[in-house]
Amino acid sequence: MKTDKVTQQKIIRDVLISLVLYALPVILMLLSFKITGQRPWKKITATTVNKNV
Amino acid sequence: MLQYIEQIFTHLNGWGLPVIMLLIGITEFAFGLYENHWTKNERILDIVCFVVPKIVVKPFIAYVGLLLLPTLLPNAKNIFAWVPFWWGFAIIAVGDDLTQYWYHRLHHQLPWLWRFHRTHHSAPYMGMAMASRQNIIYTIFFSQIYLTTTLVYLGLGYPVLFVTGIKALITTGAHSSIKWDKPFYTNKWLKPAGWVLERFISTPATHHAHHADSDDDGVGHYKGNFGNMFFLWDVIFGTGIITRQYPSGYGIKHYKQEEWYAQFLWPIFKSRKEGSELAPNGPMVGDAVPLEKEIVNRGLLTESIV
Repeated sequence: MKTDKVTQQKIIRDVLISLVLYALPVILMLLSFKITGQRPWKKITATTVNKNV
Repeated sequence: MLQYIEQIFTHLNGWGLPVIMLLIGITEFAFGLYENHWTKNERILDIVCFVVPKIVVKPFIAYVGLLLLPTLLPNAKNIFAWVPFWWGFAIIAVGDDLTQYWYHRLHHQLPWLWRFHRTHHSAPYMGMAMASRQNIIYTIFFSQIYLTTTLVYLGLGYPVLFVTGIKALITTGAHSSIKWDKPFYTNKWLKPAGWVLERFISTPATHHAHHADSDDDGVGHYKGNFGNMFFLWDVIFGTGIITRQYPSGYGIKHYKQEEWYAQFLWPIFKSRKEGSELAPNGPMVGDAVPLEKEIVNRGLLTESIV
């Protein structure tokens, strides 16, 4: 028994849309950093360097 | 205040949720919401599905998180710990629930996967027990658990605590036979909130429709409404229907009350029920069997019994 062709096509279309949805929060986060000038990853690095010192 | 909320979610993910589920289950049972469908076979299956994954699956996930990931990704531990809380929350919520949407949808749309998910749909009633009623293979390969465990290892553990807690409450509420969403469809002050709510998260109305035994009445929609925490995926992909009504019957039309062990452990154990999807020579999808053939089979069966 096989999945019908229409369902197969819908699955492929929706998987492609899903890839965009998965990336959306990450893209929006990076965009917000660009707009606000925040660099939170640098804070962590700086803390680590200070600890080592 | 924040510490208080954090404590609530910490306990919720530990002992809190099983206790809430048990309390809801007792309430449902006390109010007779399982009607007379909760037979001995169904009771054993529901209880085994509730208990065994907590003993078997959780330690396995802990193994993946604590031993396997540090070996596979030795330098990646906490590399994303810098991600601000609310962005981490959004990344986890989308990553976890969209993956579960796909895991669930494919078990309905790819016939060879259906029998691994069938146990979740076989019960002729709705209740909190449905949330954990799954075949063991479906539970073990629950794809988003591994994605989420990986994200915890990468440093997003704190937002995971809140997402998984909220998600567990929503999915348990959507499966429950307590129709908590009803006031949102009847009270004129709550109706606008209800409109948003039913499109955003799974409610008893939309999720019960997914568990209906028929879609002929325009309420049931077992070939759609796949969303777990978010119903939004069904809205985006056009796989959902919203009727604000509850189906008259639940389960699957071709249910043969298969043995609890066959439902829990198929294909390791198979059913002895003639014509069952879980029997050694049973059909892959029961409702795909043409009606005429089914009638002929039943006729032959009747003759052989007589």
